[in-house]
Amino acid sequence: MIQAVHLPESPEAAAVHSARGGWIMGGGTVVMPLVNSGAAIRNELVSLRRAGLAGIEVRDGVARIGAAAPLSSVKEHPGLGFLRPALRTIASPTIRNLATVGGNLFVAQPYGDLAVCLLALGATCEITGPGGRREAPVADVLASGVAEGEFVTAVVAALPEPGTWYYHKAMRRRLNSASIVTVASVTHTADGVVTSTRTALGGVAPRPVRAVSAERLMRGRPLSPEVLTEAGQAARADTAPFDDAYASAWYRSRVLPVHLRRAFIG
Amino acid sequence: MPSQIVSLVVNGEPREFIARPGTTLLTILRESLGLTAAKRGCAQGSCGTCTVLVDDRPATACLVAVETVADHSVRTLEGVASDGNLDEVQSSFVDNFATQCGFCTAGMIMVAEALLDRDPDPSEEDVIEAISGNVCRCTGYRPIVIAILDAARRRREAGVEPGRPAEEAVSR
Amino acid sequence: MTYRLAPIDKRPFAAEREDDFTVIGSVVQRSDARGHVTGRTEFFEDVAPPGLLHLKMHRSARHHARIRGVDLTAALAVPGVTRILTHADIPNNLYTPLKLIGVGPDDEPILAVDKVRYLGEPICAVVAESEAAALEGAARVRVDYEDLPAVFDVEEALAEGAPLVNEYHGQNFFKYEGHHCRRIRFGDVEKAFGQADHVFEWRYESAPIEQAPTETTGCVVVPQADGRLRIHSDTQACFFTLDNTALILEVPFNRLRIVGGTVGGGFGGKVDVTVEPVACVAAMVTDRPVKFVYDRDEEMQVSSPRAAERIYIKDAVMDDGRIIGRKVTLYVDSGAYARHTPYGTTKAAAHLPGPYSIPNVWADCHCVFTNRTPSSAMRGFGVTIGDFALESQMDRVARALSMDPLRLRLLNAYRDGDLKAHRKVAEGTALVEVIQKTAELVGHELPEAYRRMSSTTREGL
Repeated sequence: MIQAVHLPESPEAAAVHSARGGWIMGGGTVVMPLVNSGAAIRNELVSLRRAGLAGIEVRDGVARIGAAAPLSSVKEHPGLGFLRPALRTIASPTIRNLATVGGNLFVAQPYGDLAVCLLALGATCEITGPGGRREAPVADVLASGVAEGEFVTAVVAALPEPGTWYYHKAMRRRLNSASIVTVASVTHTADGVVTSTRTALGGVAPRPVRAVSAERLMRGRPLSPEVLTEAGQAARADTAPFDDAYASAWYRSRVLPVHLRRAFIG
Repeated sequence: MPSQIVSLVVNGEPREFIARPGTTLLTILRESLGLTAAKRGCAQGSCGTCTVLVDDRPATACLVAVETVADHSVRTLEGVASDGNLDEVQSSFVDNFATQCGFCTAGMIMVAEALLDRDPDPSEEDVIEAISGNVCRCTGYRPIVIAILDAARRRREAGVEPGRPAEEAVSR
Repeated sequence: MTYRLAPIDKRPFAAEREDDFTVIGSVVQRSDARGHVTGRTEFFEDVAPPGLLHLKMHRSARHHARIRGVDLTAALAVPGVTRILTHADIPNNLYTPLKLIGVGPDDEPILAVDKVRYLGEPICAVVAESEAAALEGAARVRVDYEDLPAVFDVEEALAEGAPLVNEYHGQNFFKYEGHHCRRIRFGDVEKAFGQADHVFEWRYESAPIEQAPTETTGCVVVPQADGRLRIHSDTQACFFTLDNTALILEVPFNRLRIVGGTVGGGFGGKVDVTVEPVACVAAMVTDRPVKFVYDRDEEMQVSSPRAAERIYIKDAVMDDGRIIGRKVTLYVDSGAYARHTPYGTTKAAAHLPGPYSIPNVWADCHCVFTNRTPSSAMRGFGVTIGDFALESQMDRVARALSMDPLRLRLLNAYRDGDLKAHRKVAEGTALVEVIQKTAELVGHELPEAYRRMSSTTREGL
């Protein structure tokens, strides 16, 4: 049973509660269902709602998004227009008013499509904890989380150059449905061939993953149906798909090449 | 930490109550304040039946620990009609048969209120997206979408400006 | 107003009908809409009696197991937990839904006694001062299980050597007046298969379907000063609930009063009497109001779904599309207990072989027990899945014969005066006219001979 809900007014104050075992909560979309069903794993909550972490700054081609910024703020921010289509595929507008950027990093797949985007963007996480502040690539945070008592305070990412951002999410319904396959990518081309790519996948592993095998096959080649199908097939090596109510592991794996292709060339 | 006194501005009125740690806004509205229009359907944010407006934005009240919104403004379906007069969304729901069992209705209407306050002329796609977090198991959504679009039309025809509280619209 | 009023086609059966409609074709406002849009409609959970206790169930974590022991010590130690009910507290620990329509046996305990037969079966009920305390108490109940082999497939359950699901029955099927299934025998299907130009056999299958009402199943029971219990419930069947609850409590019917009729979606899922009896016992032993409402997980896991079905249909068909024989083998998955599925299986049998006049019909409809969630009512239960199979079969037969699927249906559609497989004479059939009208509405061309067909004559046959 929950014994306390803390509302620290700074990240430092939140760190004190977190270090004592408080459960960091962004919008509550993951924590509160567990509280409501009696399955909360800790008995003190630390809400980041008043910790001054909800700001979004976009300056000089770099976005700094506070961990407690709700997804709706990201969607509405004029400097983050490239993310708008992706945000539209995440939950409902109502849930996006609550769910936060920081929280999205820690939800179990097939949720957490923004985390897939941040992985493709090569974002950096700012982290606060008992040992002070540090930074870590979002890839590391997605792969292994943060240490006990630590929490993410912001994510920082360079904006993709025009024409280099790709996003596609396959889901059971057009809106408000979890991922079957999510593809996000920053890919540069020159003279019709890929010069660099950072491609991330959601829905096909317990955590968002980089499609390194696909990236390898795409470099130096055109974004053609053949190359993308081949890359999509190769990307299966980077995944660990699972069965759930939305799709079977078999299905996710089967349609992965299709959706990788659609992310780039429709 | 023991229970504490929390205050909210509910439908324009300051309200105080005692809350045990971690009590949801939904439980407070229903059990402490007697405002039972918002319903508990899933207690996990999936069905939207408990949707109310927090600072004029839709939120599933079952996911909000009430301490975290202390002193903020909350609007519920009980605050929509004034002096017994239905507002455009409510009357449009009645006229367009957008209710059946009635369990999702409070959430649907609150989402519609927020949408129309921000956008007086939403497209059908906008309406569908706005209610995409609200489950209706009876009507099949179609009458609800029609009702919200019709409510928007009624508001425009009545000259209601977006963002203006519904009470004023009704009194015209 | 923006809704569309569909015009009524008054041409068919004009002679048989007085055109004195007062409601059809007009707009009638819903009487409950104003309450819904203002939030004033009172659902069961909107009542808040003072001193309310909360009840949460500890449920089976096994599909099939013997209960060696139940340890309530840790649960009772949770602050706020006031009482834990076990099977010994239930006066008549048997759920008897079919007793009221004269069908037995009484095969389902209210709270498990010595065995659990499906995942989520209720074992004991924790009553506490708060919902959180009740949840915590329920989580701390410890049950010592001895696992038993489980069976989840209807045909496996009927096979030799299958684990016995429910000792009340003695076998894994419901007995219909001494027969192992509900049967239809009409004409001679084997002879029809011998005479047919084509024999087609296909298999159809469905999963259980949860009704998923937005309001979960629940009730609030309030003891009254006069000793009666007032039950606020979202049951779809107030009197059925009242009668069954009284039988379980072993009290006269007039000790109970149901306040209901407002249901936040039911679709058949709120026909079974699963929360009221235990909540009433809790209210009686504590003399305080008690609320027992499923959470969403319980609604999905244990509220009775539409039964899973498996259907084999074998048809004897002539070149011209006439179906001269139909053999159906139907398995309905009742789950671990009977509830309404023996009745649903009878409905399924009554619905075969579909709305067609087929001279030779054979059907075996099995109501099978497995270690799955007991199935029960849902929107046309017993007939909906069968219709899916029958009409899929019609489409496949048409495709196999390269025939227009509507013409195949018109050719075989039953007419007034036909003797059905159940030896009832069909009347008021109207299927021919419905197909004709549908074809017209969707722009599907029918030849003159098919447009002249009628359900009241044998023209065109």
